[in-house]
Amino acid sequence: MAQPPARPRRRELAREWMTAVYPTAYVPLSPVEIERFLLDLVDVIADAVQAEPFTAAPIAEVGQRLVRNHFTGPETLQRTVEVLGRALLFTPELSDVPSLPEKVVAILGALSTGFATAMRLDAFDRQEEVKAALLAAKQRAERVLEVSEARFREVFTTSAFGIVVTDLDGVCVEANEALGEMVGVPFTELPGRRLVDLFHPADADALATRYHPTGVRRGERFREQRRLLRDDGEPVWVHLAVSLLHDADGAPAFHVTMVEDVSELHLLQKNLDHQLLHDSLTGLSNRQRFGSRLEAMHRKSHRGITLYHLDLDAFSVVNIGMGHAVGDRLLREVGRRLEVVVAGERALVARVAGDEFAIVVDNGPATPRVPEMVERINHALAEPMDCGTALSASIGVVDRPGADWDVDELLRAATATLHRAKAHGKRQWLPYDRHEDRRSRAWLARAARMPGALADAELEVEYRPVADFGSGRVHGRVARLRWDELGHGDCVELAEANGWSLVLGQWALREAAAAAAGWSAGVLHFVLSPMQSRDEDLVGTVMRVLDETALPGTGLRIHLDTRAMLAAGGDNAQVLRDNGIPIGLAGFNGGQAELSLLDELAADVVLLAPAAVRRLADRPGSLPHRAIGELVRSVREFGAAVCVPDLDTPALADWWREVGVDGAFGAFAGPAVPGYEL
Amino acid sequence: MESGCGVVERTSWVPAGVDTGLPSAARLYDYLLGGGHNFAADRALAERFLLAQPNARAIARLNRAFLRRAVLHLIDRGVRQFLDLGSGIPTVGNVHEIARRSAPDARVVYVDFEDVAVAHSRLLLEDDPLATILQEDMTDPTAVLGAARGTGLLDFDRPIGLLMVGVFHFVPPEDDPAGVVAAYRDAVVPGSGLALSQFTSDLQPAEMAGIVEVMKRSMNPMYPRTHAEITDLFAGFDVVEPGVVPLPLWRPEEGAPDTDDPARAGIFAGVGLKK
Ligand SMILES: C[S@@+](CC[C@H](N)C(=O)[O-])C[C@H]1O[C@@H](n2cnc3c(N)ncnc32)[C@H](O)[C@@H]1O
Repeated sequence: MAQPPARPRRRELAREWMTAVYPTAYVPLSPVEIERFLLDLVDVIADAVQAEPFTAAPIAEVGQRLVRNHFTGPETLQRTVEVLGRALLFTPELSDVPSLPEKVVAILGALSTGFATAMRLDAFDRQEEVKAALLAAKQRAERVLEVSEARFREVFTTSAFGIVVTDLDGVCVEANEALGEMVGVPFTELPGRRLVDLFHPADADALATRYHPTGVRRGERFREQRRLLRDDGEPVWVHLAVSLLHDADGAPAFHVTMVEDVSELHLLQKNLDHQLLHDSLTGLSNRQRFGSRLEAMHRKSHRGITLYHLDLDAFSVVNIGMGHAVGDRLLREVGRRLEVVVAGERALVARVAGDEFAIVVDNGPATPRVPEMVERINHALAEPMDCGTALSASIGVVDRPGADWDVDELLRAATATLHRAKAHGKRQWLPYDRHEDRRSRAWLARAARMPGALADAELEVEYRPVADFGSGRVHGRVARLRWDELGHGDCVELAEANGWSLVLGQWALREAAAAAAGWSAGVLHFVLSPMQSRDEDLVGTVMRVLDETALPGTGLRIHLDTRAMLAAGGDNAQVLRDNGIPIGLAGFNGGQAELSLLDELAADVVLLAPAAVRRLADRPGSLPHRAIGELVRSVREFGAAVCVPDLDTPALADWWREVGVDGAFGAFAGPAVPGYEL
Repeated sequence: MESGCGVVERTSWVPAGVDTGLPSAARLYDYLLGGGHNFAADRALAERFLLAQPNARAIARLNRAFLRRAVLHLIDRGVRQFLDLGSGIPTVGNVHEIARRSAPDARVVYVDFEDVAVAHSRLLLEDDPLATILQEDMTDPTAVLGAARGTGLLDFDRPIGLLMVGVFHFVPPEDDPAGVVAAYRDAVVPGSGLALSQFTSDLQPAEMAGIVEVMKRSMNPMYPRTHAEITDLFAGFDVVEPGVVPLPLWRPEEGAPDTDDPARAGIFAGVGLKK
């Protein structure tokens, strides 16, 4: 099966992998043994990539095997994904595999999920084993009473899991420190309280019956996922494992409950395991659970359901301006308020993405109509939060859809409607509109097709000349994307929207650098999207590409997105510069913060924002027009060149030349051409 | 009985527990290696430890890796039984597990004086006929050796591997460190081995001073030693190549990535064979 020529590369990959994870966790094996172990896994992965028909199913096993063999450090998975992601996309053995990027994404996803699940079960099962051993010891107890009690005490106090012992009336007899931490109450104050009172009201009843001594037969256990209620009212999602303990005569005596805080785990494995059903921050349902509940409600509804998809307006501003801690508090508060809004209804509120919420209401005879419901939502959000901010949301509404709609259809329609509502500004809502939907749907369908198109070489990189207005400091070509009739801006927008930006950026940079290494057309300008500018691996990617293509660093100008740098910090720009690669700031508007950033980074070039360029050209002689002259002068005096993008006509180019910029690109300077023509 | 534990008679399994207030080295080390047997106080100590020595996690990992290489080396030299002094909380790659991969009949007696380390070792070794744990103070060789003989697991007429890995920096000068090692040495036959690793100020004096300061507020204050002092502990042993060196330099295995800077490894390590 395995092709002989592929072996050395697979070995090399196993070695890279070993080198990356070796410092992240202690594994009691020699480096050679580790490499051999990882090579096995590489084989599984590489074979899966090439298998027809493709399935990522065998990969979950890879994650599990890593965990079983103690590759469990905090950074082990991340480094694994980095190494594999890079290697699989660019390894020659796999270069002919159709739809490679999608397969790689599927594979890394399956690996991460397998890993996260195994981590959880591993920790949990180990603790359960220990507990079981202790309880067994307890039953032999009377003879060696003190020893077994000491052992139980050890686990009880040292466990990272909450443990609580309750009597048959459900009253806490003893709880450990970890449980106290979870509920935010000193653990010494828990004895005497009823256990179910520590849970969310919605869970308390169900639990009360589960805890009935006849509910659990001898030796049996039950496991569930429930919400504890912190002292401050905040729900904490936990995993419970409950066993019934009998006394020496075999009569039921106590329940022992182990409690695992899954929301904390969630945070730890933030970008890995989104399979849990609930949003750890707000305690609301997450997208996955919302989907299945939505389906059930839709199926069973008599009067039809109404689906609301909300997006908080300008929430990123809050997050950046006041910090994530405040942002998180606000999100929790929003969740709570939305639950209040629909409190009298058969309804479910979910947090479906960062600042997006969804509500499904099963309409009853007294359910308010859509406009009134929207009014209530807006009203609830407009009430100032404890930090003084009032929020608003844009809302897409799908009201009483036909019975033949499936869940995906419903969710997609709500999202599309939300997007349209948002385009109208803040605090807007719209009902679903079939006609409008068709158009935007084409756009989204296009976005979804992008990964495939990239794999099938439908996307191209073209090069536009950058005109030098006389200073001699800017020249060369700028790389632009093209996909059939879609130009650079459209491609970037699509990629940012479908999350494909990083992969696309890496691919385009590699293409462009390879082309530039072989031409004499001057410097290669490469403009990064916001997401690409923030990529943590950006510097690594650029250095690798330079290395592989032998393009000298000075032959490249990387233009980073100004706003992304403001939001995420200028580290990427700084490090690129430190590595001898000239950098530019793209999308530059000349605001205060942007000028400080320029000052701090000492960027080599500034690329003005296309929107600003269009706006200014419209109104010669106006105040902005004069101001831009000042701006250009100061930036140039500071030592950075100023460049203008997307100029279509020679007249516009002349206008900017007058203003005094160093260079420009756009249709006026000649058409974009493919690399091989240069 | 601690206050607030409620209904006493019905929870007769709950006697006075370990003192969770004062952090311990065993639990600190467990935490640094990613284990789960530690209290809030230990984690707080670990955070201060990491401030003083940012490389602490790597040092813990390197120390554990040295333990493994040293055990395998002694097995290569024909040693089949080990006395592991200051063995810690059982975690990934315990001595009996490592030894048995190449010598299935290997016997191990663990010794630690810390409650949590001992409790967990007991659980782990409960049904293991070839390994056990003793709760003793390793600076009292008479007591340790007496109890070790009492287990019947070790044959003192054949070579024994003495492991003092990551523990000697807890032995204060007034406990006569040289005398402690000598007592163990005199109890074993020639061909027996000594693997020892301990913190030093020679490598990063400032960081080491910080660690000493941090550990003053734990159950285990620390006493770093110089290269010469550590080498002297091997009196009566032939130190095997490459001598007493920073952790990653002791017989690194083929293919090991050289990502760990020996100058930041904090600990000197060596192995000797009794003459
Ligand atoms: C850092 S751990 C080392 C564990 C293991 N030897 C290793 O290297 O992986 C040090 C252990 O030595 C124990 N210890 C310290 N002083 C001791 C003494 N005087 N007697 C017995 N154990 C001691 C501590 O309780 C702790 O568990």
